[in-house]
Amino acid sequence: MIGSGIKRGTAELAVLSVLQDAPLHGYELARRIEQQTNGALRFTLAALYPMLYRMEQQRWIRGTWETSANGRRRRCYRLTPAGKKKLSPLQREWAELFRALQRLTKVAHA
Amino acid sequence: MPDWQEFVRRRLYGLALEAGEKDEVHEELAAHLEESYEALQKEGLPEKDATHRTLAQVANWRDLQRKISIARRRGHLMQKRMHQLWIPGFLTLTLSMVFLMWLQKFGSRPRIVWSGSIAILFYVPWLLSLPFFGALGAYLSTRAGGSRGAALFSSAFPVLALTTAFLLMFPIGMIIEWVTGNRVDYVHFSFVATALLKEGIGWLVVPGAALLAGGLLVQLFFSHQSLPQNPVIG
Repeated sequence: MIGSGIKRGTAELAVLSVLQDAPLHGYELARRIEQQTNGALRFTLAALYPMLYRMEQQRWIRGTWETSANGRRRRCYRLTPAGKKKLSPLQREWAELFRALQRLTKVAHA
Repeated sequence: MPDWQEFVRRRLYGLALEAGEKDEVHEELAAHLEESYEALQKEGLPEKDATHRTLAQVANWRDLQRKISIARRRGHLMQKRMHQLWIPGFLTLTLSMVFLMWLQKFGSRPRIVWSGSIAILFYVPWLLSLPFFGALGAYLSTRAGGSRGAALFSSAFPVLALTTAFLLMFPIGMIIEWVTGNRVDYVHFSFVATALLKEGIGWLVVPGAALLAGGLLVQLFFSHQSLPQNPVIG
């Protein structure tokens, strides 16, 4: 069973990685993550917003209200300098973990 | 189409946030639900199914409410504590100590008052300055929305820090004695009691009263001005 720490880590990495490309509002953010992972990672509203608010309190992301062309108000999230700083070591750690797991599973299957 | 704003407002009615912030959360979640619903309808789902699948995103609204409250209040609480307690408190401590050091450097001598065989030292100019420093701490805390307790804590912070240092001095001395095996005479009870009385009056009780006098004056002033108070801290 995947622990909550790992789940939270992957979710934060996913959000920071997607926001690295462009600022997005919550719904669009969830949709992009789902698309880019071919549906492997899905965020429901219940999972997404507490995490976004927590990350905002940690100052990794910043949300601002914007009005779209059709007059709708949406809260757009963008990566802060602190978020960018957080992302690089997080990416390295996860890459290292996946390589280690890959090595381990190859040995196990040999 | 369902009224998502009203729906979210009803489901999260107990969200423990300030009114403006609560409205923002309601609006943001409602917008998310609305977009989910519209996307499902575009996929060709009938209204009932689209509504059902949209609502399936939240299995437990009470749990979501709790998680949002925790996520948003954690940072606020820390920020408030920082502005209402720690910054005013440490500023009061730093200014009062720098002023004392400055007085000592420029040759200000303490006034000695004898109480029986005990000599108590008072730096009169320093004591006279303390109500101003206490008032400054209380003012900064109150201006940041601190409660009366937070403001008085900030104004008396230098004395609280000194009291902590003072109380820790003797146990630490005893531990050092125990570890090194060297007997240190000043840890005797009679010495400790005398020191507590002598230093306590000169460095803690009188300065504490002076600091609090300044803090109370500011409180009195602001109670007439009716500045916003925050009962969360303090």
